[in-house]
Amino acid sequence: MTQDELLDAFPGVRVDQDNAAYYGGLLEDRVLVNRCDDCASWHHPPRSACARCWSRSLTPTAVAGTGTIVLLTVLHQGSRKEGADFSAGHPLVAVELDEQPGLRLGGTVLGADPATLQLGERVRVVVRRLEGRGPRVDFERMS
Amino acid sequence: MSPSRRNPARDQVAIVGLGRSPYGRDRVGCTPGSLVLDAAIAAARDAGVAATDIDGLCGSTVATAYVQAALGIGRVSWFANPASVIGNQIVAAVAAVHSGMCETALVYHNAYRMPFASRSAGRDPMRRRAMLGLAETRSAWGTGHAESGANSMFGANAYAAWAGRYLHDYGYGRDTLGLVAINSRTNAGRNDNAVYREPLTMQDYLAGRMVRDPLSVYDMDIPVDAADAFIITTTERARDLARPPVLIHASSLGSTDYGIEEQLLDLDHAGQVVVAERLWAKSELELADVDVFYPYEGFSNIALSWFENVGYCGRGEGGAFVRQHWVEREQRILIDGRIPVNTHGGSLSEGGTQGAGHLYEACLQLRGEAGVRQVPGASVALVTPGGYYFNSQGFLLRRDG
Repeated sequence: MTQDELLDAFPGVRVDQDNAAYYGGLLEDRVLVNRCDDCASWHHPPRSACARCWSRSLTPTAVAGTGTIVLLTVLHQGSRKEGADFSAGHPLVAVELDEQPGLRLGGTVLGADPATLQLGERVRVVVRRLEGRGPRVDFERMS
Repeated sequence: MSPSRRNPARDQVAIVGLGRSPYGRDRVGCTPGSLVLDAAIAAARDAGVAATDIDGLCGSTVATAYVQAALGIGRVSWFANPASVIGNQIVAAVAAVHSGMCETALVYHNAYRMPFASRSAGRDPMRRRAMLGLAETRSAWGTGHAESGANSMFGANAYAAWAGRYLHDYGYGRDTLGLVAINSRTNAGRNDNAVYREPLTMQDYLAGRMVRDPLSVYDMDIPVDAADAFIITTTERARDLARPPVLIHASSLGSTDYGIEEQLLDLDHAGQVVVAERLWAKSELELADVDVFYPYEGFSNIALSWFENVGYCGRGEGGAFVRQHWVEREQRILIDGRIPVNTHGGSLSEGGTQGAGHLYEACLQLRGEAGVRQVPGASVALVTPGGYYFNSQGFLLRRDG
């Protein structure tokens, strides 16, 4: 895939050399997170150095995709172009992945009644295809 | 007046490390941030300093927050992105080191070929995308999120999520946040400059339009057109001027290597913690000396964290503290029945100026010029602007003499 094709797949997203592997992975329904080749720690969002040991040798690595909700809000207001239904309340969460404390991804929870979502709930990553916006990471309930 | 010859920093500060990312016209696979990291790591290694030795950051267009998170520089008490390369960065760092804002500063600047200035760069589609500043303005600096919108834990969305986490972890209801909002509104009633002055009841508060659960329209600062300005000079000179000097007894910034909002490990890792630690370390005053307190409340939960971090109470006790020191008859907080909080009405009622209004009011009080809301004998003010991430700040101000 060329860089132009990658950029075209994600209009409105700041795709650059640091995060190209992450977004390229989404096009293949994979969630790739930078992992240090030297000390094995994970980092997100993608940057070009290991924050723990300063190694520049990092490998975008698939994560298991399971985790726990650590932050939760329900949005009741927003602009139409954000592509969400605010009338019913739009859930927004941060999920701590099982790979490492503090390793978190943000997104919505699909198909969930926002009133029933809770901190501490287990969720699974889904790569969601959005019309005109490119695929992105969101979540669904485990049970 | 002849030019100042004052140079107390003379011979007091040195450059001890050099690092570089090779200059090139054909480099691919790099971002402005990665270029800075090349040079920063090299300079630190040249000087023999580790991430834990660095407590100050100063750069040009790549945000210090990007470099701090990317290099795991856990705690810095001073950081800046001044505009004019490279002298601006160097003199700012010299001043910061000499004045005690930090001990060891990492200073950097990068150049990046822009598509309009270089044919080869123009052929690089990612450089063309980078020029657009997508997705939100901070992403152009290497901080913030590559994507914006309702699925991004950015800005107000993240403050709402952290507010929810706070209420959940410590067992509070929204009425706890409501006390912060009502306190601001009550105080605003005595401030002609405040945009919202009519009383706010708890019933009104709880019925407020929900925007980002648990934050309603009453929990978020009021957009205004406004400005504040301050003249700052040496105390010696200030004593010869017309107005009573307000002495900056101690001040500090604070930032941790949080990365993006949802990556802040917990509230113990908010920049506020660094501010408080450094502020009290630098001060000859104690919390008991404070007569007026100005915790920023652009989002109401931020103020509760400030109560905790400056030392009025422990982690998670901010809500209980505010209730314990709530004076029902006055519909506002009076710490120990004496110390008012955000006497001007704060960002929630005077209007949102990102803490400038808090600082302005603290100065008014210390000069004894706050009119009907003057706190008798106010001589020490604690002002803590900013939230959890990149803008935590603290000032201990006192009246002269």
